Amino acid sequence: MSLKRMVVILVGFYCLMGVMPLFFGGTDYIMNILIMILIWAVVASCWDVIMGFAGIFSFGQVAFYVVGAYASAILSVSLHVPPVYAILLAAVITGLFGVLVGLPCLKLAGPYVALVTFAVHMTLVPFLRGPMGRAIGSGGAQGILTVPPVSLFGMTFSSEHLVPFFYLTLFLTIICTIILVLVIKSYWGTAFLALKDSENFAASLGISAFKYKLMVFGLTSFITGLFGALYAHYVGMLSTRMLSMDVFTILMIMIVIGGIGKYPGVVVGAVITVTLNQFLAPMGMYRPLIMGAIVVVLVLFLRDGLVNPIIRLISSRQKAGRTGEYLS
Amino acid sequence: MKKTGFLAVVCAIVMLSGVSGYSADTIKVGVPLAETGAYAGSGDNYWKGIDMAINEINKGGGLLGKQLEVVRFDSQEFAPEVVMQGANYLCGKMKVASVHAGWAGWGQDIRAYGKYDAPFFCDDGAMPAVDVYKSNPEKYSNTYFITDTGGDQANSMFSMLTALPYEYPNKKIVIINTDDAWGMEVGDTLSKRFKKIGWKVAKRETVPYGTNEWGPILTKIRRINPAIIHIEIPSSQEVITFFRQFIKQPTNSILSYGWSITPLEVLTTLGKDADGIVGEMPAGMPAPKAPNSKSQAWVDQYMSIYKHPVPAGSWIAYTSVMAWADAVKAVGDEYDFKAVNKHLKEAGYEGLQGRIKFGENNTLHAQPAAPIVHYQVQDGKLVALFTDPPLKPYGDYKFQVPRWIKK
Amino acid sequence: MFLEIVDVFISGLINGSVYALMAVGLTLVYGVTKAFNFAYGSFYNLGGYFAWLLLIPLTVVGGYYSVFFLAVPFFFIVGYLLEKVLIAPLRKYDDWEMKVMMLTLGLSLFMDFGYQSVFGPRIKSLPSIIDGTVEIGKVVLFQQDIVIFILSVSGMLCFGWVLNNTRTGMAVQAVAQNPAGAQIVGIPKDFIFAATFAISTIMVGFGGILLCQKNFVDPMGSTDIMIKAWVITAFGGMGSIRGSLYAAFILGMLEAFVGWYFGMIHVQIATLTLLLVTLAIRPQGLMGRE
Repeated sequence: MSLKRMVVILVGFYCLMGVMPLFFGGTDYIMNILIMILIWAVVASCWDVIMGFAGIFSFGQVAFYVVGAYASAILSVSLHVPPVYAILLAAVITGLFGVLVGLPCLKLAGPYVALVTFAVHMTLVPFLRGPMGRAIGSGGAQGILTVPPVSLFGMTFSSEHLVPFFYLTLFLTIICTIILVLVIKSYWGTAFLALKDSENFAASLGISAFKYKLMVFGLTSFITGLFGALYAHYVGMLSTRMLSMDVFTILMIMIVIGGIGKYPGVVVGAVITVTLNQFLAPMGMYRPLIMGAIVVVLVLFLRDGLVNPIIRLISSRQKAGRTGEYLS
Repeated sequence: MKKTGFLAVVCAIVMLSGVSGYSADTIKVGVPLAETGAYAGSGDNYWKGIDMAINEINKGGGLLGKQLEVVRFDSQEFAPEVVMQGANYLCGKMKVASVHAGWAGWGQDIRAYGKYDAPFFCDDGAMPAVDVYKSNPEKYSNTYFITDTGGDQANSMFSMLTALPYEYPNKKIVIINTDDAWGMEVGDTLSKRFKKIGWKVAKRETVPYGTNEWGPILTKIRRINPAIIHIEIPSSQEVITFFRQFIKQPTNSILSYGWSITPLEVLTTLGKDADGIVGEMPAGMPAPKAPNSKSQAWVDQYMSIYKHPVPAGSWIAYTSVMAWADAVKAVGDEYDFKAVNKHLKEAGYEGLQGRIKFGENNTLHAQPAAPIVHYQVQDGKLVALFTDPPLKPYGDYKFQVPRWIKK
Repeated sequence: MFLEIVDVFISGLINGSVYALMAVGLTLVYGVTKAFNFAYGSFYNLGGYFAWLLLIPLTVVGGYYSVFFLAVPFFFIVGYLLEKVLIAPLRKYDDWEMKVMMLTLGLSLFMDFGYQSVFGPRIKSLPSIIDGTVEIGKVVLFQQDIVIFILSVSGMLCFGWVLNNTRTGMAVQAVAQNPAGAQIVGIPKDFIFAATFAISTIMVGFGGILLCQKNFVDPMGSTDIMIKAWVITAFGGMGSIRGSLYAAFILGMLEAFVGWYFGMIHVQIATLTLLLVTLAIRPQGLMGRE
């Protein structure tokens, strides 16, 4: 996708999101959904950059998100670090963790990367629930129930002050989105495309796959950790349920709807998925049933996700329209 | 291209705002329960009690002349954001007049529903939840804990175990509990109490949910040969597999199951094999004969609807719906939360077993009208041996020495 | 002390045999078709519900004999159709391995909650195949455990024999080793893919019946099974059947001894740490080929 089109879509999207509180500022239910959309949009975008652009088949995205959340919560609850610094520190910790995970596995072939990263994901559950987690302050199975809200410039940002928190999230979202767009459209992005096309050929040009993959892995882990931490201070409570397959699948649906490597389709994917998930919540056990069916159908029938074909349809119509005008 | 993003957002808004059809001739009652996942069994028990109460009220002409309408929400496995989502949906969006939740979490639920004012009835039974309440009693004043905490229940279990008409061959106890707030609390309290009277806690094992292979633990238990084995796992699978594997080579131990005796499947699966196990139910209904004719009529009605004995949670969930309805009737306005809360706290409610009153920390502590009931399985049925407080034998039912204990 | 260790050892052996039966199917499918089936645990549950349906509401004549007899064609058809309808169409994409993982992950969510909506969220129990105990000296064994051990070991031997001695088995091996070459010599690759998937479904379905009659049919139990099978497959080496056999018994023993010596709470973290360390040092697992 061209840079121009990408920027137009993203700017349009964030402008729209930016004015939403004017209409729904008083409705907690909808504000909560909007905030979750912003958070998930970035987390899913990071995954898209890892999978779609860097071609790293990582299953560790939820794990990084949780590491960020827990790191920040533990720092601020057990060590009394002010939340703002805790969030930044947690992002750095997650970034380093990402590099640590990346070191052994990024040299491996596709499915093995999935294996190792998913193993990390699964190890986190007994680790955080068990005695070791409790020793570092994870609260065991009960989790952490008293994560303090962010206060900055004398203002409090938390689930009780939704509008300020929304704008704080929006601000961070925009910064991270700019970083991701720069990555995709930079020399790195081009290098990745080259790597995806032919690793051997790219290597002969002097592009080191490993170095770039590790860099992008670290960076996306950093951003994911940042939003995990932000989320921790938003809900104020954490538990290992965040690592359930349900959350993992929801994140995956965003990518499937958006199309892998079709950034920023995944952002729209996040909007649709978060809204749909909330909308289906009152249906109890039929919600995951429907979500599962959606994944199966979309993977089976949509090569590039749901968003891209629509864009193509609209732009081809526009073109057709214009040619029509031109002729008449 | 802007259109795509725009379209998606518009779709989202339409979907979000489309459902809030608001009609004034019914009273909405929120019921967030675990409908899926590991706690779905307990969620089902609460639901049966709540459903029975609501049907009864509706059949009797409704509340303040309006029918009750249930709004359900699946709180899954109580992930904090899901619980918060539920609170925002039920209280914020659907504007329910009260929330009946059963087991709803271990503190996350108090925070989520504390943001709103509608009365919130929960059966968390864990200290962390009460601690959240205590951090700001003003804000969380709409919270009602419908049973005692794990610690208090464990104290009662201790009193019962030491009061059993049975001479323990030694002073060794093995305690096995889950790794969550409930299990740890009960395990800690029991081991503290038993140590104080000179017993030895020969083994204390914390197990994760999903433990079905007990071989390694049983090997150790057989060497210890303790007088009591206490299991505190609020999930049926684990305690059933434990019993099956224990019984193939039993030790001379009283099997104390605590709350773990209550999941419905324990007795339906084990039947008469389970004879001899002891356990408890907080805010329970003594069985097989209820304490009075009103209660007996209720139990009979329950059995005729659901075709199984009353499991933990059903009766107290039923009672809390009735208590809330009673308060609303007295106040005359279901949305005057302040007055409803005041009435609930001050007047209590005349339940089937007597007048219940919420005490310290808005908790329905064990009381004669909502006692902790200690049972033993006899002939495949729960038979009440004691009620507490005060701890006293119930009816004419007698403790039987389990068949696996050799003289 | 010695007796205790014997007890724990037996416990590990029985665990291992069950794990082996569960994991071998997953390994086989990956080895032959390179498709990683995340819905594997849900097929395990399908086995449990299949047996429950036949035995409790339908009270089929012949009890477990009929269940096992009917299970073979049932799971073959289910597995075969699923491969043809859901997996095979994905092969035309170049990132199909990823797509298969995603699809099966969605499928498992769909199946797990499908069971809940059809059969309810409560667990179901099956009658035991056999009751009673055997005493050898001071060691007491469940007859049930012995049956599980014998059935899963003989199932595995039988499977190994099919793989090495029949035309179909050898064709499967040929496709696993060199799909293009196999096609050139006239082995119908697509059929072999679907058949392999079907065979693995039979294996996991049997595992489900055997284990569910010992424990329970639990609609949410599939995640645990999936993780177990997955750990064994990864630990033993993706696609190596011998490797996953060793891995199953090593993990069974590890679980039993860690649980006995350190406590049950450390079991899961111990197995996963072992897996992580193995993958970091030797990503292809114990016996895998790179």
